Amino acid sequence: MRASVKDVDPSAPSDDPEVLGARAALVPLVFETLVRLDERGDPKPWLATSWTHDREHKRWVFSTRPNITFHDGSKWSPPDGAITAPDDRPIEQILRDLARPRNAIVSRAPDGSLTGTGPFLIAEWEPGKSARFAAYDAYWSGRPYLDSVVIQMGRPYAEQAADFQTGRADVVEIAARDLRSPRSSGAATFSTRSTETLALQFEPVGVPDALREALALSIDRGAIRDVLLQKQGEVSGALLPPWLSGYSFLFPVARNVARARELLSSSGGATLAFAYDRQDTVLRPIAERIAVNASEAGIAMRNSSNGSAAVRLVRLPITSTDPWIALSDLATLLKIALPENPANPYEAEKALLGGFQVIPIVQIPRGWILSSRVRNWPNLPDVWLDAGPSTQ
Amino acid sequence: MTFRTKLLLISSFTTAGAVALVTGAVSIASRRAFERVDAGRREALLDQFRAGLEAQGKDVAQRVDRAAVSVSVKQIAAGAAEYDSAQQAAEAVGLDFLDVVDAGHNILSSAHWPARFGYQNDWQIAAEDWTASDAFLARIPLPEGSAVALVAVRPAGANNAYVVGGRRLTPEFLKTLGSAPGMRALLWLPPGELIDAQGAVTQPERLAALIDQVRSEGREASGAVRWTAQDPFSAQRPARDGALPGAASPLPRRAALCAESMECSEAIVGLPLLRRGSLMGVLLAGTSLREQMSLERTILWTGLGVALSGIAMGVLLGWWTTERITRPVRRLVSVAQTVAAGDLSSRVDVRSRDEIGDLAQAFNQMTEQLVEQRERALQAERVAAWRELARRLAHELKNPLFPLQITLENLQRARGQSVIDFNEIFRESTGTLLEEVANLKTIIGRFSDFAKMPAPVFEPIDVNEVVRSAIKLHEARFAMNGRSAIEPALDLAEGGLPITADRDQLRRALGNLILNAVDAMPRGGSLKVRTARAGQGARIQVSDSGEGLTAEECGRLFTPYYTTKQHGTGLGLAIVQSVISDHHGKISVESEPGRGATFTIDLPSSQEAQRTAPGAGLEAPLKSYDSAAPGSVVRGVSEET
Repeated sequence: MRASVKDVDPSAPSDDPEVLGARAALVPLVFETLVRLDERGDPKPWLATSWTHDREHKRWVFSTRPNITFHDGSKWSPPDGAITAPDDRPIEQILRDLARPRNAIVSRAPDGSLTGTGPFLIAEWEPGKSARFAAYDAYWSGRPYLDSVVIQMGRPYAEQAADFQTGRADVVEIAARDLRSPRSSGAATFSTRSTETLALQFEPVGVPDALREALALSIDRGAIRDVLLQKQGEVSGALLPPWLSGYSFLFPVARNVARARELLSSSGGATLAFAYDRQDTVLRPIAERIAVNASEAGIAMRNSSNGSAAVRLVRLPITSTDPWIALSDLATLLKIALPENPANPYEAEKALLGGFQVIPIVQIPRGWILSSRVRNWPNLPDVWLDAGPSTQ
Repeated sequence: MTFRTKLLLISSFTTAGAVALVTGAVSIASRRAFERVDAGRREALLDQFRAGLEAQGKDVAQRVDRAAVSVSVKQIAAGAAEYDSAQQAAEAVGLDFLDVVDAGHNILSSAHWPARFGYQNDWQIAAEDWTASDAFLARIPLPEGSAVALVAVRPAGANNAYVVGGRRLTPEFLKTLGSAPGMRALLWLPPGELIDAQGAVTQPERLAALIDQVRSEGREASGAVRWTAQDPFSAQRPARDGALPGAASPLPRRAALCAESMECSEAIVGLPLLRRGSLMGVLLAGTSLREQMSLERTILWTGLGVALSGIAMGVLLGWWTTERITRPVRRLVSVAQTVAAGDLSSRVDVRSRDEIGDLAQAFNQMTEQLVEQRERALQAERVAAWRELARRLAHELKNPLFPLQITLENLQRARGQSVIDFNEIFRESTGTLLEEVANLKTIIGRFSDFAKMPAPVFEPIDVNEVVRSAIKLHEARFAMNGRSAIEPALDLAEGGLPITADRDQLRRALGNLILNAVDAMPRGGSLKVRTARAGQGARIQVSDSGEGLTAEECGRLFTPYYTTKQHGTGLGLAIVQSVISDHHGKISVESEPGRGATFTIDLPSSQEAQRTAPGAGLEAPLKSYDSAAPGSVVRGVSEET
């Protein structure tokens, strides 16, 4: 994978969007929560098999799954086989919270290391470089098919493609724009729904509102999606993809260079220090296109080489199938406070985008190239390798 | 400055000037020759650049031709390729820039700026028949600015698409032009890029004025630039393993630093590169002035060496020549100085037959005549002196002799008278005889005194004291019977006036002046004696209120035997002058008829100093008596001789 994950501590915060997204994919392999959200965002029992009110209707009582053991062999045995939670919010909110990775069931050893109950245990861990996950034989839902999974981290798309071509990897990430490219015989691609939002993130202070809005109006999202991403993903003025929120069409995406110039007419143009990951073959052409669009509106996007920039092009991961959780994680990542008690996710996202501190551009899926022997991707515990001839 | 020095300087300057003129003329001629050669070389370089540009343009056109028929470009033109496919097409044909544009000039794919797809190609020129057009210079927009390139346009594929390809004008491009040693091509590209075959040019600001001139005037301009940071032609020299075309001397590549010297100067001509009236850049052809400066320096140093040698030889020859020329002159000068000092026996020994010889011979004749004239003058002077002495003696002796004769004749006549009368006459006559004999003795004594002036015996004295004693000695004369009284008045220097002098002789001299003053005031008057310091010495002034003297009398006053008195011997003031002279002093008189006379004596304080430095301590001595207009003050001076 491209991200360099230092650890898989489910409660550890991270302000790196790539790490946050990668960790969201890795944590469930090792750690589990009482409930999980399904593809539609609905909670379903996981380590908790059921939940009911107590007699006073003041607390929720979660009955836990029996015979759960941690990777170190110790048994997970909550008192009376149940966990309680105060009934201070609607049960939907409580369940969404319990589904968050930070609320995973962990066993912390005296040396600080964490042990989970998931289908895989961490056999080897070289922070930021590689990790080997071994199948947990005593997993309550049955041992995974794969004995172990080795993940190389910090590998750009080109290196991953080379690894795949040389047979050193069965599964590699692929840029969204390449999902439709022809593959070698036997290889297959797999893509998810849009799980990343590419957006411009401004520094909290220093850039005038009019300049931020002008930049937002100058961007030709359609060309980015149609040409640069080869029609993969969705043009969006919202942070959450339409499959998750259903309201993203309410946020404008139309380009209006005249209006952008008008906003900048008082200053006669502007210069913005611009930064992005130059190794990211997805971000780089998009960033260059944004610079071309911006120059048309009178904004000079000057590439920043020292790390200090007024605006950055970033990948924002969609960490949950629940819009509230996803929005919350994005707000934390973007360091923008969500309004208190919004009526619905739309109101919350509208407030989040109101100041143009972040400008969504396009939402893209995650994609992989799979060797011909990989089956049942992408849920790793269910994946197995076909014994037939490999691609090597 | 001596005559010999003048001759020496004239000969030296003449030699140096001649050499400097020759050196300057050679230097100017060589510089002009170099400039003509350099101008030709620069023109050749510009021609070479034009030819190179044309060849490069053909090459670019051929590459664009190949790109236009390539599959990838056709796919782009047909909309069947990705937006960045032009990069592969550009790499395949070796172009730096390549755009595939549709009929509306919208970029379908850009190799050098992929993100510009969909935008108008604003550097493509208006519709032309591009099928076989030549390459041209154009400014290519880039993400980081722009670049100048040689560009060609060709139709590509279907849908009236075009491919626009080009190659950047870079240092590598300039290298391909080649250049002769000591020459280089530079290229200025807007907005401010200046390159040569080595890359970016250091100190581009030194060319700014020339480039601005070319840009503003739109035509060729030239100038000279002095580089101080780095010798461009030192850095230009190729390495042994990478000799440039046309480079004859494969010296090791190095970047020599320039001192503040002309060796890093460069003559540069700038040529505007225009495309339909728009300036695409400025081509600069430079030639090093190193060789020219080196030659000029060699000429300069050679000239200096020759000049110095010439000066040295001129000095030696001049010295030898002037020595030969001036030797008899110096001999003549030496003899003339000896003659001027009084030795008239000296003669010039010059045997040359030139003007100097004639001059020496004339000098010798003149000297001989001077000797003869001096001997004649001395003889005449002696005769005159003896005559004057005889006249004086006769005059002085005649006066007492006449009473003696009368008295003796009276005695002879008295023998016939009575004894009583005879006794009476005898007594009176003998008295008269004795008186006149005494008078004769006095006259003889004065002459004897003048002839026998003793040498002064110097001792420390107080001038005031001497003055007082002289006044006291002659005090009785101030109120003699039959005369009106004379009032002496002393104005003596305070605190005494010590000098070294002969007390008696000085008193005697003062006494003579006092007696002279008394004689000048037969009807009485005032006698003023004043002493004062005068420089290092002493001044004594004796003034009377008598009838005064005429200018002629003042001039002759100190001449021996000259007197204005009826019974004077004319020796008094001569004795005074003799004493003052022996004391290395001087005496002068100022007088005006009817207003008395003032005698002024200046004496040095020390006689010892006078023996080593004559005249020291005195005012500037006067050599002659001043004559004055009638009625004015007349001043006569007698000084030490």
